[in-house]
Amino acid sequence: MKKITIDPITRLEGHGKIEIFLNDAGEVENSYFQVPELRGFEKFSEGRLAEDMPQITQRICGVCPEAHHMASTKALDDLFHVDPPSPAKKLRELLYSAFYVTDHTTHFYILAGPDFVMGPEAPVAERNILGVIAKVGLELGGAVIKTRMQNHRIIHMLGGRAVHPVFGLPGGVSKGLNEEERKEVEQIAKDSVEFAKLSLKVFDDIVLKNKEYLDMVLSDDYTHRTYYMGLVDEKNRVNFYDGKVRVVDPDGKEFAKYAPREYLDHVAEHVEPWSYMKFPYLKKIGWKGFVDGKDSGVFRATPLSRLNVADGMATPLAQAEYERFYSTLGGKPVHHTLATHWARLVELLYAAERLLELSKDAEITSPNIRTIPTAKPDEGVGIVEAPRGTLTHHYITDEKGIIKKANLIVATVNNAAAVNMSVKKAAMALIKPGKKITEGLLNRIEMAWRPYDLCLACATHTLSGQAPMEVVIYNSKGEVVERLGQHLHP
Amino acid sequence: MGNPLLSDDGVGLSVAAELKSRLDQSDVTVMETGMAGLSLLDLLVGYDRAIVIDAIQTVDGKAGQIYRLDPEAFDATRRTASPHDVNFTTALELGKKLGLALPQQIIIFAIEASDVSTFSEKCTPEVTRAIPTCVEMVLQELNMESRYTTY
Repeated sequence: MKKITIDPITRLEGHGKIEIFLNDAGEVENSYFQVPELRGFEKFSEGRLAEDMPQITQRICGVCPEAHHMASTKALDDLFHVDPPSPAKKLRELLYSAFYVTDHTTHFYILAGPDFVMGPEAPVAERNILGVIAKVGLELGGAVIKTRMQNHRIIHMLGGRAVHPVFGLPGGVSKGLNEEERKEVEQIAKDSVEFAKLSLKVFDDIVLKNKEYLDMVLSDDYTHRTYYMGLVDEKNRVNFYDGKVRVVDPDGKEFAKYAPREYLDHVAEHVEPWSYMKFPYLKKIGWKGFVDGKDSGVFRATPLSRLNVADGMATPLAQAEYERFYSTLGGKPVHHTLATHWARLVELLYAAERLLELSKDAEITSPNIRTIPTAKPDEGVGIVEAPRGTLTHHYITDEKGIIKKANLIVATVNNAAAVNMSVKKAAMALIKPGKKITEGLLNRIEMAWRPYDLCLACATHTLSGQAPMEVVIYNSKGEVVERLGQHLHP
Repeated sequence: MGNPLLSDDGVGLSVAAELKSRLDQSDVTVMETGMAGLSLLDLLVGYDRAIVIDAIQTVDGKAGQIYRLDPEAFDATRRTASPHDVNFTTALELGKKLGLALPQQIIIFAIEASDVSTFSEKCTPEVTRAIPTCVEMVLQELNMESRYTTY
């Protein structure tokens, strides 16, 4: 058999890169977080039927197809001026809650967990899910796999496929639930609630009860005082599927609250010559550079942001956990980036509880799942909360519903400026003249961006995934002093 | 595996589409996916053998070249190397540890891609020409006895 050697450089294709520049004294002068470019999405969309967009856009990302599917479907409701019947909205939210359970579970156990369970300094070969289950137990690994599979089963049930569902239509959904299916969903939801509770206990035992970790979470190295963004319902509670976008200032005071159609009045995008990624900022504050504080338009849209913009959670267990979150971390808003991991687990519990509520809803097996659109299409905006932040789809069509213009602001892009700031701050705190740059040290820098659950795929509309990241450090002469792609060979 | 919207990245899906029409699917399932990591485990559970078809990019690779890869190279192709969560090897190891019924043999066919960053539903000409060849290679593989290293 032919043996092939593959140059590791090719494995970086399509991945992110962090470049850190040192000054003459060996201190961090600047750092840049970069992503590769993809070409032609807007052009690709032009001339297509608007109703194909939920199928097309969910394929631009291999990480959260359901989020694109849902944002796109909601944009179509708006575009065709149609309000789906109540059971259809509930079914969409049910599918979306199941998706959240899978996605948040994956992030916590696969990406976040190893840093804490194995420790930031653990050898990279051990700092993965295998290391986690070796330490925490095989049973938990089984529960992770089971939770994911069960919730994918719900997506399959409604969307016809476990990923890339064929589900959302302008004015409703393609399929409802029968009583037998409803019962199955209810059981899965009950199991998921238990799993979420267990996950919060794991976080409690491993992170909160460990003084070193808690100090790290609370340390200034991983803290930025920014604006926050997230969807809320009519009572200002966290909502993933629908509502208005609420923005709070670094003191936690409401700064703006707007309907999807108004997003361009509030968000603008800054361009830097060194990155293909655009940097969204609050239009009414303005772009003041990569700085935090009340005068800077930089905002964050993450699980932590969603908790910060809300007045509470809509389900009882998640609400209790929400209160514990803020009482433990010193009140609202919380600015500690690493607390995003905890916020994500509060949301996991909310998603599971909401799934359970919806599975028992009297309307959920109703056959009334679609309002056929009759108005002429023109323009539509749909916003959902993707697991990693606010996701906006905006389409303009001709009167036949052919796309003339498509604009997406994806979750990771919202956080692009903040990610750069977080990486720079951690790098400045950790890299000191004369101090040896170890793998553990670089991992602590990576820990500054990991809470954002970056989807580089979406950010430039590619599929290549989110984990691999190359870190390159340059001295003042521009020579490479350290290069590490540690997540490429775990 | 692949993304049908990103030029050559979707070549695996084109091969799968052709295989679908050529194969008697009573004992072979042809599946298409853009997902990686743990999601692959969900798809592989319960099968005896698996053949993965994906795009690859290597240094000095010639577009359209086809590689038959053994398990050591599992982290090399577009999707097995760049998952949302864990790489293919780790996912398989996890599945094995958890006692999941994973295939005894997994083989990857990888096709050298030229363009994976332009939105298009068509592959480039060199890669398009490789599709029928890859289809034949997979059919031949299916007819062969399982004589390679098992995972």
